[in-house]
Amino acid sequence: MDNQKLNTKDLINIGIFSVLYFIMFFISGMLGYIPVFVVVLPLVLGVLGGIPFTLFLTKTGKFGAVTIMGILVSVLCFLVGQSWISIIFGVVFGFLADLIFKAGKYKSWKFTVIGYCVFTEWVIGSMLPMWIMRDVYFEAYRTQGGTEEYIGSVMNLTSGFMLPAVVVIGFIGGILGVYLGRAVLKKHFQKAGIV
Amino acid sequence: MNLRLDPRTKLLILTVFSIVMIDGDTAGVNVYLKPALSLLPFILLVLSGKNKAAFGYISAFLISWTGNLVLVPMVHGGLKICFSLVFQLGSRWFPSGVTGYYLITTTQISEFVAAMQKMHISEKFIIPFSVMFRFFPTVAEEAEAISRAMRMRGIGLQGAKKNPITLLEYRMVPLMMCVVGIGNDLSAAALTRGLGNMRERTSICRTGFQKPDILFAILVLSGLSVFIIF
Repeated sequence: MDNQKLNTKDLINIGIFSVLYFIMFFISGMLGYIPVFVVVLPLVLGVLGGIPFTLFLTKTGKFGAVTIMGILVSVLCFLVGQSWISIIFGVVFGFLADLIFKAGKYKSWKFTVIGYCVFTEWVIGSMLPMWIMRDVYFEAYRTQGGTEEYIGSVMNLTSGFMLPAVVVIGFIGGILGVYLGRAVLKKHFQKAGIV
Repeated sequence: MNLRLDPRTKLLILTVFSIVMIDGDTAGVNVYLKPALSLLPFILLVLSGKNKAAFGYISAFLISWTGNLVLVPMVHGGLKICFSLVFQLGSRWFPSGVTGYYLITTTQISEFVAAMQKMHISEKFIIPFSVMFRFFPTVAEEAEAISRAMRMRGIGLQGAKKNPITLLEYRMVPLMMCVVGIGNDLSAAALTRGLGNMRERTSICRTGFQKPDILFAILVLSGLSVFIIF
């Protein structure tokens, strides 16, 4: 069979690692109840997701895998109540990351770092309503019984110039996560013969 | 009595719920719409013989719904944050969560796969998706076992204060080790059953829309249109 195509084993791996990655997303999303963490969510996600993601990449170094993962994770996000924008972001950033990994032939470390950083940015899709639908978003919070203190601090943290900052934060999180992932991979998984 | 819905109807219900219920607006028409919609999972659970889950769910929802409307405006400060957090969880995420629980516990995987094939979804999504279906409970079990083992060895939150990375390392690494192992077993099992064969699958599961499917689809869709229009 053609080795460049995704076979059943890869598809099963995609499912498994999407579950792991989604759990990491869920953990970092739960931290969002503390106002500061709303902004550093991409950082936390990048770091937490780094270990499963690097292992995932070494298990399935084929084109399409990351795109499918992006779609699956963002569809799940939609089903647990994020806005539909996150699906678009999941597809687009998953695909972009896939292209980058492909450019590095799934081996080059430099491309892996950049690709993972790009992939991490998909999470901005679920945060975007805070900026582009700002009034609606915070008005909804108010009617839901969100307290003024919480809304005030989140609004302060998410003023207009924070959007690029969040993108940068996502990149930093991605870099930290992917280096952590590589360290763990070297320390544990290679020794155990899993990779 | 055992009601069988097509998996696609269940998915439709879940999608509508994640649009309507998770939005936290309680004003206007929503005062009637949301409690009415939240009755659906209750009815579904009762009809599929899960009485315990059904009554647990409906009482939790009613408490948080009324709490949200009555209790939250009465208190202030820290108490308000606590109350609204708990009640929001109960009245917004819980209905969707229960619908998801209903979907997973009452649908066999092969039934689900057959339904997705009828929706003409590519094999490349069906396989990972059905794996995910099966995998959430497994990961939870494994994580629980690992956390017990770590506690026995005295690796808990105490050590994490000194070095938070160790917490991540001691939890994640064993989890991923066994998850990769399970993944290998699973793919071996799946390949022996011919999942790698790229021909069209056949299934003994009958999927198709029947009267109850149409009824529930109309119910949730009208709920959705009321939500969007008003």
